[in-house]
Amino acid sequence: MRMRLVGGAALGLATVLVLSSCGSGASEGGGDQAADGGQVTLKMVAADYGDGPGKPNSGENFWKGVVDEFQAANPNIKVDVQVINWNDIDKQVATMIQNGQVPDILQTGDYSGFVADGLLHKVDEVLSPEVSGDMLQKFAEFGKVDGTAYGIPFVSSARALFYNKDLFEKAGVAEAPKTWDELKAAAEKLKASGVSQPFGLPLGQEEAQAESFLWMLGNGGGYKDDAGKWAINSPQNVETFTYVKGLVDAGLTTPNPGTKDRKTVWEDFGAGKVGMVNGGPMSIPIFDAAGLKNYGVAPIPGKTGPLDTTLGVMDWIMAFNKNGRAEEIKKFFDFFYTGSAAEKISETYKLLPVTNGGIEKLSGDEKLKPFLDALPNASFYPFQDEKWAELNPAIKQTIGGAVKDDPAAVLGELQKTAEAG
Amino acid sequence: MRRLRALEPLAWIGPAVVLIAVVVLWPVVEMIRSSFLEISRVGVVRGWNGFDNYDKLFAEKDFADIMVRSVVWVVAVVVLTVVISLALAQLFNQRFPGRKVARWALIAPWAASVLMTAIVFRWMLDPEVGVINQIRLRLGLIDALGGASADQLGDASTAMPWLVFVAVFVSVPFTTYALLAGLATIPGDVYEAAKMDGASRPRTYWSITLPLLRPALTVAVLINMMNVFNSFPIIWAMTHGQPGYSTATSTIFMFILKSSDIGESAAMSVVNFGMVLVITAVFLKISRWNRAVA
Repeated sequence: MRMRLVGGAALGLATVLVLSSCGSGASEGGGDQAADGGQVTLKMVAADYGDGPGKPNSGENFWKGVVDEFQAANPNIKVDVQVINWNDIDKQVATMIQNGQVPDILQTGDYSGFVADGLLHKVDEVLSPEVSGDMLQKFAEFGKVDGTAYGIPFVSSARALFYNKDLFEKAGVAEAPKTWDELKAAAEKLKASGVSQPFGLPLGQEEAQAESFLWMLGNGGGYKDDAGKWAINSPQNVETFTYVKGLVDAGLTTPNPGTKDRKTVWEDFGAGKVGMVNGGPMSIPIFDAAGLKNYGVAPIPGKTGPLDTTLGVMDWIMAFNKNGRAEEIKKFFDFFYTGSAAEKISETYKLLPVTNGGIEKLSGDEKLKPFLDALPNASFYPFQDEKWAELNPAIKQTIGGAVKDDPAAVLGELQKTAEAG
Repeated sequence: MRRLRALEPLAWIGPAVVLIAVVVLWPVVEMIRSSFLEISRVGVVRGWNGFDNYDKLFAEKDFADIMVRSVVWVVAVVVLTVVISLALAQLFNQRFPGRKVARWALIAPWAASVLMTAIVFRWMLDPEVGVINQIRLRLGLIDALGGASADQLGDASTAMPWLVFVAVFVSVPFTTYALLAGLATIPGDVYEAAKMDGASRPRTYWSITLPLLRPALTVAVLINMMNVFNSFPIIWAMTHGQPGYSTATSTIFMFILKSSDIGESAAMSVVNFGMVLVITAVFLKISRWNRAVA
């Protein structure tokens, strides 16, 4: 009897150990290859702008095209690209670094976190002056930490208001709203005409920080004040979220916005269930795929008038200094920006270019024009502040509560997170 | 020669010992070590951090709620799973036409990926197009699609029952099969003897079936408890722990923390690990206490 009990306990303990160790993230192998026969292999990690593995527009396909062309021109340099989806890339890169398997090149949404730990090459070590000279000045500025450039702008995007012209006509709304009150009035008419989500409001985990920021900008607010101090619970922001909460309570938005991802809401817009929604060039393919044709694009409404700025988002490419391959990386970067690749990425994914040359080339595209026009005056997340990276996940998780519970309390909690440490 | 012979068992258990050490023990040690390190967001170890990670974790506003929810989650899912499985196992132990097909059908939710099942349920509950809401609309339970009333995953009070439902749904097959195997080991003559003594059916079930089923039941409950406690895909795919953290368990919280503070996330893992050990110990203790009474 006693033996059996001990056996049972041992079995239990063993199972605990096995099951609980299944949870931790798997790290990707590979990484350190010796250069044989003069050949150098660059390890690159990139985010997937496409619809995932197997799809014609997948990141794997895109980069394979770029790399094949590059390797044909530079037979001594091999580039291994590992494409990771946006949800996992940050965590997986962190795991790689933790395990000492640092990539040579990384393309993702942020570079600033790597600077403090001294992991990155300076931009002038890995990019020709001609290429960096063609970058949009404002963008390049954001690639600097304490005056030294580390991040190279890769692609950008901007936001504007999309509205469904058919639904607007049916509801008797003549034109896109310019102020919050016009937005509310339009939403009420849409609601009365049977639209279930007059205003699409994705404040869920995927990108709550973007939707929130657009609303804050409409009232002269933001994550930081003009002096550069965190101001998440500023009076303007509290007023903003109180207003939005009013819209939610009146049933004029997506229900329970704090749980809705932008992808779902954009799909609902494409399906004709949503009257208006904030989107960007990257939402156009989603609307197209859903078969929505008759929509307009307008500046985002603010409290008293349309925004003269918008949210600009930049993605970055950067070079790690651990393996000392600056020369090869430089060849690859120059090839990327001067060849057809940078242009191809804008075309494939409807992302906006970051160079003057690239913007000129695209200026003929009707649908992209409102966004290209907005770029030079865009506002950005305070991502150069080291705290942003820690704050952002908290915003994504909880800011939706500001339109459900007490706005001041929810924003105050986030402000506390921002100021801590 | 004889000395070599004495070493022989080592050759047999050696690989298993090495495997356990590398795959199980080493990660546990690493996990505990990480929880005392200051690790930058991008994965660079900046040095020892003492108990700061734990202090920060325990000071999180939502920590207590999350831990309580985790325990409620485990108890609710496991109890429901076991009760349903006991009934199902009894049913499938009977001879009836089509039993083979029914037994095979029961495997389906088990064979399907949990993540896939969770995503399917999320779509079925979609406020605009979900089939469950279409049905509720036809039945007159809701007035319209797309509104708050059709959005059951949008609020913790209605989302939690669905999460529990899906967790039970994917746990029942394994549990039923474990219990079914247990039922098959109970010899028929015990029941015959009970019949001779004139025991009623409930009495037979309570005094014969259940006690003899205990080994199978113990294993099933134990494995389920740990599985459910560490369960990630269902909640992540269906609600991301939102709104706020109101549907998050400690495993979900650990994952969210990982993107802001790796050290704090490791501390959460250690707490999680400790919780599983405690829950397991408590359960084993209770089941032993039962044995003494029976």
